[in-house]
Amino acid sequence: MADTVTFTLNDKNVTVPKGWTVMQAAKQAQVDIPHFCWHPGLSVAGVCRFCMVHVQGARKLEIACNLQATEGMIVRTDTPEVKEAHKWGLEFHLINHPLDCPVCDQAGECGLQDFYMQVGKYKSQMTRPKVLKPKAVDLGPRLILDTERCILCSRCVRFEEEVTKTGALGIFDRGDRAIIGTYGEEKIEHNYQENLVDVCPVGAFTSKKFRFKQRVWFLQEKSSICPGCSTGCKIKVHARTDRRTYYRVKPEIDETVNGFWMCDKGRDTIAHLNREHRLPQSQMRIDGKKQTVPTAQALESLRRAIETAGAEETALLVSAHYTVEEYEAFFHYFCDQLGVTKVYQWRAETEDRDSFDGILLRGDENPNTAGLRAAMRRVKGRTVPIKNEIATCVSKKPKVVVALCPEVPFTSPWFQEDLKQLAGISHVSLWTCRYEATEVAGITSWIPMKGFAEKTGHFLNYEGAKRELQEAFPSATAEALSVVEAVQQMAAIATITTETATL
Amino acid sequence: MAIIRVPRPPRDANVFAAAWGYLVTICSGLKLTLTIFFRQLLKLEKTETVEWPEQPATYGERFKGKHFLTLRDDGQVRCTACFLCATACPAQCIHIEAGQHPSNEIEKFPVRFEIDILRCVFCGYCEEACPVDAIRLGPEYAIVDTSEKKWVYTKDYLADRPALQGGIHSIKPENEKHTSIGHEPTAKERKSQAHHGHV
Repeated sequence: MADTVTFTLNDKNVTVPKGWTVMQAAKQAQVDIPHFCWHPGLSVAGVCRFCMVHVQGARKLEIACNLQATEGMIVRTDTPEVKEAHKWGLEFHLINHPLDCPVCDQAGECGLQDFYMQVGKYKSQMTRPKVLKPKAVDLGPRLILDTERCILCSRCVRFEEEVTKTGALGIFDRGDRAIIGTYGEEKIEHNYQENLVDVCPVGAFTSKKFRFKQRVWFLQEKSSICPGCSTGCKIKVHARTDRRTYYRVKPEIDETVNGFWMCDKGRDTIAHLNREHRLPQSQMRIDGKKQTVPTAQALESLRRAIETAGAEETALLVSAHYTVEEYEAFFHYFCDQLGVTKVYQWRAETEDRDSFDGILLRGDENPNTAGLRAAMRRVKGRTVPIKNEIATCVSKKPKVVVALCPEVPFTSPWFQEDLKQLAGISHVSLWTCRYEATEVAGITSWIPMKGFAEKTGHFLNYEGAKRELQEAFPSATAEALSVVEAVQQMAAIATITTETATL
Repeated sequence: MAIIRVPRPPRDANVFAAAWGYLVTICSGLKLTLTIFFRQLLKLEKTETVEWPEQPATYGERFKGKHFLTLRDDGQVRCTACFLCATACPAQCIHIEAGQHPSNEIEKFPVRFEIDILRCVFCGYCEEACPVDAIRLGPEYAIVDTSEKKWVYTKDYLADRPALQGGIHSIKPENEKHTSIGHEPTAKERKSQAHHGHV
């Protein structure tokens, strides 16, 4: 028996694996079927009755999401009956919808709005007043629920049951009084709350963090990788480039790693990228006073310090928050060209590295542990154990330390505390994007780095899979550099200086 | 490119005869001007000229001048911070910061609402885009100031300044969002719409 079926969809032959529904086949064939309750990552509910298609020989219209594709079936999505069904389906969905799009955060990416423009009836025949339901219900630390906007597609209920397996949500009451809610006064407190906002096709669930911050049509999105842990979820970062402000993170569909979801911790990884938290320009401590200097000057002084102290007196302290390409450039310059041999890892002192919450979040909070280990193995020529080596670094009493600082603040709260150990070393150069780094005493220079959303490259995740940061935003601070750029600049300065010296 | 050939007047034509028509027209025009001038000088006729700025001059209500924000019945601004005016604005001169209103009925309101009047081109798109009749362009046209700061109109200034005489209320019902889309207006609503107009 063949394991594929071929059927006709809008006069086009479509071949899909056996067992697929017409909806899945339509997605693959890029035929749009309007739908609310169907979600590729959840089970089929068939409650919205919106994905109607015409099947030749069937007595009435069928729902595409629950219709298994069979050999020789003839399906049409554009007949007048289908269009009529969509119009009336939408009319019924909108009976009690408050139409408060002006105050709704979902406006601009709302299923109701999109399908209304696409297949709407435009002229409502409903004259009765709308049923009023609870608005702006606090449903958890990150969630607000507006039961009036809800169209009862039950995606959120299924998410709670199937993905997080907490089953906190249910549909209460009946008919036009039916509302989504939790049992009693319960709140949703797991780490995957904002996925409910994502699965909600309308504005019933909105995110507290993003609430009223920005209208979605002002945002640009770029594909990147979450730097929150070693899972390496594929994400979309949403920002306004004209204001150089980052607003939110959404998961991007990636079936190999994160599927359709991401955790709430990962959604906080952009807060530190905004200007108020960023190191805007290079700084140096000159005669005990911090001063803003051109990056070239700070890099030149670092190069001189290494030259004076000698490569054997120089140590590199590297955290696993940078891309493979950056490590390559960094180690190539410092180890292969300058001859530095002391390379140490910098990570959390205590971490439950192998823990896993069963869905996505892992205990290793560094996005590129595997990448850093591979790079260090190349430099050191032996296997590198995963541990914090800042104490070892200090005990070797180097005269110059170049530190690639951890980027994401909430996975590295020990950052400033650890830096205090470096006091007493004559030249410490911090390569960091965090402004708080300048508050630490005993540091000689600070070089501003780009955040993860501002560079391309790739991480290696917990299983060594390549996770590609595909697109980069312009940096929120004009002078920020990636490690690659900083190393290039340093090498260029070195060439110029040696050339001038020989003249 | 098309060229239209205009025939030249014949060289031997009488210049005085050709200019006669012009002279007659100029004189009749001057006659009208001078008649009005002397009639108004001798106060036989009302003059339309206003000695602005000593005498006030007003424009009609539909004039697209200085913006203002309309108010709710309780005196708060009607604006729901939907950003549609800011989206429609071709000069990008409207800056809104939205916030959570203490009352769940209102939900979203502008914490800051600023118009950079120097960038504004007075096109009136904001007025057209507004779904709740919260922003309008009024008949005030004299926009004069010295301080740089005053060119950015704040929410308070837009909602309540001396010229607005305590703020303008809209006739549109406040909870309009709860009426369904596209339905036939009731008799009461028709009446309210008929009265709806500018200050």
